[in-house]
Amino acid sequence: MPKAVLGGIEIEVDEDGFIQEPEKWNRQVAEDLAKIENAYPMTEEHWKVVNYLREYYLKYEIAPPIRMLCKQTGFDLKKIYELFPSGPAKGACKIAGLPKPTGCV
Amino acid sequence: MKIKDICKKKEKLLRLKKDEFMELPFPYNKGDFEPELRELTADQFQTIDASLDGISALGMRKPKSKEEENELVRKFISGLEKLLDPDNNWTFLMPLHHSLEYCVKCQLCSEYCPIYVSSGKKEVYRPTFRAEVLRRIIEKYVGNKGRLRLKLSGSDIELNWLTISRLGELAYRCTLCRRCAMACPLGVDNGLITREIRKIFSQEMGIAPKELHELGTMQQLRVGSSTGITPKALSNIIEFMEDDIEEKIGRRIKIPLDKDGAEVLLLHNAGEFLSWPENVEAFAIIFDIAGIDWTLSSELLGYDAVNYGVWYDDIQFTRIAIKHVEVAKKLKVKKINVGECGHAHKAMIVVADRILTEDMNIPRESALPLLKDLVVGGKLKINPQRNNFPVTLHDPCNIVRLMGIGEPQREILKRVCTDFREMEPCGVENYCCGGGSGFAIIQSLNFPDWRSSISGRMKLKQILEAFQGVISPEVKKYVCAPCSNCKGQIRDLFNYFDVNKKCGIFYGGLVELIVNALDDLKKPFIEWEWH
Repeated sequence: MPKAVLGGIEIEVDEDGFIQEPEKWNRQVAEDLAKIENAYPMTEEHWKVVNYLREYYLKYEIAPPIRMLCKQTGFDLKKIYELFPSGPAKGACKIAGLPKPTGCV
Repeated sequence: MKIKDICKKKEKLLRLKKDEFMELPFPYNKGDFEPELRELTADQFQTIDASLDGISALGMRKPKSKEEENELVRKFISGLEKLLDPDNNWTFLMPLHHSLEYCVKCQLCSEYCPIYVSSGKKEVYRPTFRAEVLRRIIEKYVGNKGRLRLKLSGSDIELNWLTISRLGELAYRCTLCRRCAMACPLGVDNGLITREIRKIFSQEMGIAPKELHELGTMQQLRVGSSTGITPKALSNIIEFMEDDIEEKIGRRIKIPLDKDGAEVLLLHNAGEFLSWPENVEAFAIIFDIAGIDWTLSSELLGYDAVNYGVWYDDIQFTRIAIKHVEVAKKLKVKKINVGECGHAHKAMIVVADRILTEDMNIPRESALPLLKDLVVGGKLKINPQRNNFPVTLHDPCNIVRLMGIGEPQREILKRVCTDFREMEPCGVENYCCGGGSGFAIIQSLNFPDWRSSISGRMKLKQILEAFQGVISPEVKKYVCAPCSNCKGQIRDLFNYFDVNKKCGIFYGGLVELIVNALDDLKKPFIEWEWH
């Protein structure tokens, strides 16, 4: 598994750059991932999305349905794409330190 | 290119160039609209073998020593011997044997293969190419050791690690759509041969795309679903969907969970819960109005109909199929209805019949005929004017060509929308979405580019042709694809070619159109938001 330096620490990532060691995630890691995904600098709105995803993941061990993310943050999908140009999964979830989605999604 | 070229020491057997691919209709017939296929990065190229066509679905590691090379060949031959042995392959040996023996190389099947045609007729993608490689390996290297002996001579193939590695990749350049089998006058099934090759790699060599095995089957057995949804997350998502339904139709519906002795256990592909919850919601609304005695399950595997083993591994297939039946038996439901998921239809309803005997063999049916009965039967008040936009129908290979379920969805569409257009060809002669046999979920390395630009190309052509005359983005159009896997593929295909923006085409399932046509809804159910 390749490694990347994010937030000053070495973290294992998959071939698409999703971090494989979720316990190493912190705000600096998120900001470095945001630079890669063209979502930097991170505003309050970015953090609202990232924090929601993070909390949901810690509780349910999975990313929420996209529709739920939109409703809970009050941002429509267009707004999510404005904040995270690579989209809710490859952008927002990656920055929040979640693993890459699996299954028929 | 000749069959024996598969063993040649060469960086790539085939160089893919986009200007050689099949031409697409308006507005994709002029201008540079198509991205170049991504090459593997220099780092990836060092470790991963992509010597077939520069693409990697398996992420196959290059052997690091002569010993590792020999080991790869030895294991393959050992797996091949088992494949040809009645004790080790009682499930599929007979059709495999027929398909290996009876092909007369007439090549009638090639023109029926969307991948061969879309690629600009590249020899290596012919349905007969990989089958012929396998035949020649059997002739030269298995011979009398396997209990079957093929009557072939003059085998010129050399068995080195490149032959094995390329054959493994080649088994993932076919979506198992089995259109070739339908075209063959002798009934030879090159799709089946492809899956048998995948079986050798998985069952004997431990090689399969990680999205199908590690993150798919293994995760499903461990946490309950290949999506990673746990029973706890499921409850949360169901509650969310009940809120969502209330907001949309102005009335709260209780989605029944673990209802003992219900008539119907509805099994969805769990991808619906995360990516297309409106599909699950629409089922709930329809069943509620029609008064169906139904339930979902929150048992491990009871909320995920997928069985990826059907694409690559008989043993993993069986483990999942048995779990599904155990869930239904524990709930004491009368039958299982499979929702809008093509490969779950094939796995649970057709292939599982070989292993589910006696009391395990509980009734398992498609949801489509049931939905047709509800729409035709008059319990739902339908107003087709509510779907007054152009709609075309995609036929999932496993539901339509394999099982022959083609009329129910058409009966429904004729009643719920005003402008239904067939694709050409359609029904059992349909073309695959390009995401079949697990392709739609293989997201790693550069394989996603290949499945958009080549395996999905014919479907894109058909969709654009169905909407010629109304192709302008101002006219909203809907591709009805009653299969989760097909929806994922169509989404990725449309993103790759920017179809939604350029042509105003959306996609979705069948039940969403039914609910959108309900006469007493205050606002439309379909929201036309690209996702």
